[in-house]
Amino acid sequence: MTDATIAIRALNTHFGNYHALRDIDLDVRNGETLVICGPSGSGKSTLIRSINGLEAYSSGIVEVLGMAVGDNTRVLDRVRKRVGLVFQNFNLFPHMTVLENCVLPQVRALGRGRGAARLEAMAQLTAMHVETHAEKYPDQISGGQRQRVALARALCLKPEIMLFDEPTSALDPEMISEVLDVIQELARADMTIVCVTHEMGFARAVADRVILMAEGRIIEEGTPEQIFTNPQHPITRDFIGAIKS
Amino acid sequence: MAGTMPDALIGAMPPPVIRSGPGAWLRKHFFATWYDAVFSVLFAVLIAWVLQALMQWAVIDAIWRVENRELCTREAGACWAVIESRGRLILFGLYPFDEQWRSTLACLVIIATIALSCLPAFWSIRRLPALWIAGFGIFVMLMRGGFAGLPLVTSEQWGGLSLTLFIFSGVVVIGMPLAVVFALARRSSLPVIAKSFGFFIDIVRSLPLLALLFAAAVVVPLLLPDALAGNKLMRVVVAFGIFFAAYQAEIIRAGLQSIPNGQDEAAVALGMPYWSRVVDILLPQAFRNTLPSTVNQAVITFKETSIVTIIGFFEVMASGNAAIGNGEWGNQYVEVYVFLALIYFVFVFVFGLSRYGAWLEQRMRLGHD
Repeated sequence: MTDATIAIRALNTHFGNYHALRDIDLDVRNGETLVICGPSGSGKSTLIRSINGLEAYSSGIVEVLGMAVGDNTRVLDRVRKRVGLVFQNFNLFPHMTVLENCVLPQVRALGRGRGAARLEAMAQLTAMHVETHAEKYPDQISGGQRQRVALARALCLKPEIMLFDEPTSALDPEMISEVLDVIQELARADMTIVCVTHEMGFARAVADRVILMAEGRIIEEGTPEQIFTNPQHPITRDFIGAIKS
Repeated sequence: MAGTMPDALIGAMPPPVIRSGPGAWLRKHFFATWYDAVFSVLFAVLIAWVLQALMQWAVIDAIWRVENRELCTREAGACWAVIESRGRLILFGLYPFDEQWRSTLACLVIIATIALSCLPAFWSIRRLPALWIAGFGIFVMLMRGGFAGLPLVTSEQWGGLSLTLFIFSGVVVIGMPLAVVFALARRSSLPVIAKSFGFFIDIVRSLPLLALLFAAAVVVPLLLPDALAGNKLMRVVVAFGIFFAAYQAEIIRAGLQSIPNGQDEAAVALGMPYWSRVVDILLPQAFRNTLPSTVNQAVITFKETSIVTIIGFFEVMASGNAAIGNGEWGNQYVEVYVFLALIYFVFVFVFGLSRYGAWLEQRMRLGHD
């Protein structure tokens, strides 16, 4: 295929009678930061979740790091260890401390020893500026802190690609920037990033490319400058107008 | 200042008074209105009268020693001599007299096991099974003996409270892991497995416990060769365990359904294997979410063990009946039933420790702040 880190060809997804993704073609280069936006129900989350096999698709090809994401569970396991995903709702494990949230996946997914896992976890929590909360439980810290813990947890597995599914949509406004800042640091460090978000300032600052989705299709694609200042498609224009106001 | 309220008026309103102290507490809870006061006084008198009568009967007028048993008449107080005389029968059944210290120790081990499982420190998927297997194993070894100079006492001679505890802990040790398997199988993504386990669980739940126990005691030996059939007590405990598992499986399933989908998705996305997702993420949350129902199921099971009387086992209830059944102590049935009630009460209280455990865990978390 191509030398792209993520290569998607003619991807179609159906939920019963609902056609969620229609003929998606998308390449993401190594080290690129791609932002996906679009109105709700446009298939952004379905697309990003197809990349690590959380969402099954009907037809097409999804290739990640040279591996075919399909229904072969062994391949899926390998893909998931190299692709991190951060959710809108954090999905931290509420019955474990912040530290244990970061340690356990390393032990279970990579077979890493507890001592090494703890060192890695503390390093990642420190990079996310939440190391002082290591012994707390998720319900004792703020939303912004939770999302940074979720990011640290994913980074502990040393992924080559990070996926973000609306990472700031569930946050109070004053906490959005603390999360976007750490994602920005990752982007600067040349991590391959695919991020579903409506934060235009963030997209302008870090995105190499923005794609706009509507009704299961990619309707427009370009640099942040092109998309946000000179949108071509009428739906894009409406959407940009709506999120600007 | 151009306020909407004149300063004079603000000054005129006194701040609300917060009264405290025992006087205020009594007033608020018992004497807030005239009819509150009437009911409070009425019930205080009633409670005092009942307590006084109970004390008179159970302590002051009571006859404690067997030597004084001729004093036991209908007019006298409680005749606790019956417990001195028959207490060991109630607690240990026909277990050999000289070996009853083993039975006592075994019962204490199981009580400790129940109490420890109510503490959050043991609420882990490894520690809880280890605790119960150890507790149950020590119980059986002590009761059975046959090693290190301890004479062998086969289960035909077990009885009383220790038999009740054996049945209860055996049912939990067999039933709880089965319940987890049933619950997971019923949620399986393979329709054949999900449907057949669902069918099995519903069939077991629709059968009366008694019918199941009779079948295990009487019918199974006709179907299986002797080597496989085991003894009657084992078969009854296994059948009871399956019955417990069917109910507990539905509780666990409800607990699993209450966990947001994102929990499993996050674990999948982190590359965690199926067994780890179940053992580390789903089950601990499912059990925490259903702690009250699970404890409730354990209490019901503990009390239902008395049903095995009907197929010829002398657990604590039947031993109590035997203690008053032969005429010698026939008039002291009230004392014996009060004693039995106290035994059940103590156990339900021990189970109640789990509420303390839940509270402890909550406080432990808040303590981190």
